[in-house]
Amino acid sequence: MRRNNTLGATIAAALLTPIAALAQVDTSEWNCEYCPFEDGYRAEVDAGVAYVSEDAARFGNGTGLDEKGAEVVLGGDGRYLKDGTEVTWYAEDLGIDSRALEISVGKPGKFEVGLGYRELPYRLFDTTATVFSPSASETLALPSDWVTSGTTSGFTALDASLAPQNIEIDRQILEFGATYLPTSKVKLYADYRRHERDGVRIMSGSSFTQSAYLPRPVDDYTDQVDAGVRFSAGSFNLALAYYGSFYGNKVDSLTWDNPFTTEPDHGQGRTAVEPDNKFHQFSLSGIYRATTFNTVVAFSAAMGRGEQDAGLFPYTINPILVSSPLPAASLDGQVDTSNYALTITSRPHKRANVRLSYRYDERDNQTPMSLWTRVITDTFPTGGGEANIPYSFERSRLNLSATLRLFDTVSVSGGYDRTDLDRDYQEVAEQTEDTGWGKVRWRPTANLEATFKGGASTRDIENYDTDLALVFGQNPLMRKYNLAYRYREFGEVSLSASMSERPLSIGMTYLYADDSYSRSELGITESNEDRFTVDFSWAVSEATSVYLNAGTESIDAIQLGSETFSGPVWEASHDDDFIHYGGGFRITAMSDKLDLTLDYTHSDGETEILFAGQSVSTIPLPELESTMDSLRLSLRYELSDRFDAHVGIRYEHLDTADWALNGVQEDTIPSILTMGANLHDHDVWVVGIGFRYKIGADAE
Amino acid sequence: MRPITFVVTAAMLMTLTVSTAGGQEPSYSRKGADSCLSCHEEDSVFALFRGTHANPTDPNGPFGHGQLQCEACHGPTGDHAGRVRRGQERPPPGAVFGSGSVTPVDVQNGLCLECHQSDTGFGWHGNDHDINDIACADCHTSHAARDPVLMTSTQADVCFECHRQQRTQSLKPYAHPIRQGKMDCSACHSNHGETSEWQFARQTLNDTCFDCHAEKRGPYLWEHAPVVEDCGNCHDPHGSNHPGMLAMRGPMLCQSCHSQSGHPSLPADGDGLPDGIPSQYMLGQNCLNCHTQSHGSNHPSGSRLMR
Repeated sequence: MRRNNTLGATIAAALLTPIAALAQVDTSEWNCEYCPFEDGYRAEVDAGVAYVSEDAARFGNGTGLDEKGAEVVLGGDGRYLKDGTEVTWYAEDLGIDSRALEISVGKPGKFEVGLGYRELPYRLFDTTATVFSPSASETLALPSDWVTSGTTSGFTALDASLAPQNIEIDRQILEFGATYLPTSKVKLYADYRRHERDGVRIMSGSSFTQSAYLPRPVDDYTDQVDAGVRFSAGSFNLALAYYGSFYGNKVDSLTWDNPFTTEPDHGQGRTAVEPDNKFHQFSLSGIYRATTFNTVVAFSAAMGRGEQDAGLFPYTINPILVSSPLPAASLDGQVDTSNYALTITSRPHKRANVRLSYRYDERDNQTPMSLWTRVITDTFPTGGGEANIPYSFERSRLNLSATLRLFDTVSVSGGYDRTDLDRDYQEVAEQTEDTGWGKVRWRPTANLEATFKGGASTRDIENYDTDLALVFGQNPLMRKYNLAYRYREFGEVSLSASMSERPLSIGMTYLYADDSYSRSELGITESNEDRFTVDFSWAVSEATSVYLNAGTESIDAIQLGSETFSGPVWEASHDDDFIHYGGGFRITAMSDKLDLTLDYTHSDGETEILFAGQSVSTIPLPELESTMDSLRLSLRYELSDRFDAHVGIRYEHLDTADWALNGVQEDTIPSILTMGANLHDHDVWVVGIGFRYKIGADAE
Repeated sequence: MRPITFVVTAAMLMTLTVSTAGGQEPSYSRKGADSCLSCHEEDSVFALFRGTHANPTDPNGPFGHGQLQCEACHGPTGDHAGRVRRGQERPPPGAVFGSGSVTPVDVQNGLCLECHQSDTGFGWHGNDHDINDIACADCHTSHAARDPVLMTSTQADVCFECHRQQRTQSLKPYAHPIRQGKMDCSACHSNHGETSEWQFARQTLNDTCFDCHAEKRGPYLWEHAPVVEDCGNCHDPHGSNHPGMLAMRGPMLCQSCHSQSGHPSLPADGDGLPDGIPSQYMLGQNCLNCHTQSHGSNHPSGSRLMR
């Protein structure tokens, strides 16, 4: 749907009734006798079982169906409505680790109280193993009969010491919210959320030239509060809000025995983990709608403060190493944030609109700087002091754009954007990016629309401070891609069409972006992206619809590197490709009793990285690949007015190739004791059967 | 809908000084919803009564006492519901919603915002969806027990009807659990506007990421500069071919910025595979094999992000 001023004015007028007449609309005989208002309780309850054909961590990621066997499937939704009080509830996958439950109670237009609970399973590996015990504890010990060695090939007790350890995290989210409307113009709200995570992930414990993968525990929580008031009066809307986020980590640190040596001066290592932190933010935002040129002015101003003051550990856990006292027992870290935004949109003419927006974001790190005398990987002191760097930045963005409808079927738009960045302590202190773009939209009929957009941007820098780069030990020829000069060209073509006589539509989009980092001698020197998508849908009848969709994405980049701390010695060309296609259909009420749904998706991701250069091996890297086929079939049969039977079949095939994992056992890398991990590769069938029982008026 | 509010908007819209055909004022139906439902028996119409809009006890709702029922949203339908002569085309109702409707988007949205101005419509005016003429009904289904765009399991499918690129990206090997229906777009994006870039749910991209990844907020004793500035420097949050939704495979991603003295930036070529000389710099977690604290370290000896 797009605006059409002439038609719009006509229809707008048709919708209107003069004030006097409207006030006199007599609804006394509008009895709504045909209105099937719900009254009392109505619910649909699902119960069933599903069988998962094999263990597969990646299939279980998000779904919770990572283990072979039967799962109970429970869910449903319901509504109770009586005397103005409305209660709704919704449940999904209650028997699975991805369960969700929501319930809300309220009087519409007055208040609402809601409670929600969700679980989100993250599953990465179920083929990993560790020699440390107790696994996933804060203190990881080696077996008593562990045999140390300078390389993993000497770990003679490895095989006997390995115990399975999945890499997975469960996130539980509890939500509680309340809304109260004392008047129709005022809305008060408060929401509380608690995220809790527990599980295991891989962290590496380095002992300078060697390292071990550690099964570290994840046991943390985040409490979040959003509260505020919104006020509307005529042309004004105002909102005052508070946001608080409080992170707490129940794990203080991670200590481990060094598997490579038992020498007393570096037989153990200890690392800090994520410290507790908190963030408060107050914001004021508003909108004013002026009748002059249909102008809308929107603004927001937010000020926040983040703090982190967790106690610091000594430089090293190994007491035999002499180290200096810490300059502070805790960081006393503080970051102040400021965010201001102003947007003005206006329509000075019925065929033209303009938009101006300005945004300013600041991160002001007030954390005190001190000199720290680190002990490298709990192994040897450096002796010299090193200052922590509290990074700060200011970023402002100005956008100007205008659209002019030249004809009823053609409109043109253009815009200019400017981004300014000021940073502390980085190689580039001041950076600007100027972008210009234009767009033409052609809509010859109500059912056909084509859009063409193109533009270019230049990201310029005042100075790349190579002296500072050298202070950090960086090659002065390196240009970090987020700091480097860049010229970008981009374009987009989109087409959407539908048939006026048939509910059939097609949409296509093609985008490209071409980046040139022509002033970079090392680092990313060029990259480009091409993206194409196409959709087709057809509502064959009120009961039957089919769809097809497909998409491709190609991201290429050229990178230059140096292993000699000089000019470029090698070149890597990256070619990331991804393609997917799929389709499906929905048929409802076949013979008044049967619903059938089918969805199929195929996707294929491939990454080729080719190296060239004097010192580069002639052995190419294998391609990284990930191929997935996913099929979902759902069938519902109405057994009676109150009973439905459901059958669901789900199949997923995943096949991957990844040189970072392929053939990498726990002791494959001489200097790294890993946890091993097999490639993701599964063929999972999930077959489920269940019943839906309808309660209340809905079945009548 | 509150009649007084409707009157105000009617007055505003009357500034469009166009008369209806024949100069007659549109009229309301004689029997309200009964006039509509006597013909519109489709399930898709009656599904309205399973949802929150058809609550007769909500005084501000379309079906509250004295409200305009179907015509609160669809406008006066007296002509549409009235008798037509044989061969005469039935006049359209006041407003029809959704894709393909002849009712202009601003008129459609104006009707919705009558009641939703102070909440979901708060940041709507001038935001990207508004500027691009997206109708409320392009996303929302009001004739339903539960609006698909308000449900985590189905929301993304609605968004992907326009944001097709993001559907492609969500299907990549490493992505947030969108395709599994366990995360929705509105976890990160405020679809009704606000003034943040890309309609982020929080003020900035990083603030939005910290909603679920608060452990990365710090501030840390040893910060990693690109992390505190923009998570998107290293991650593609809509999906990637690479673990961790990284924009590029390690160690090359790190080597895009780091070429350190005393720590040669070696090419991750085929020599480093398990069949050759297994490389600690490229296999497993590559750079993170040692520099495990890539988001920052709070250890006094963690300046190289190894503690």
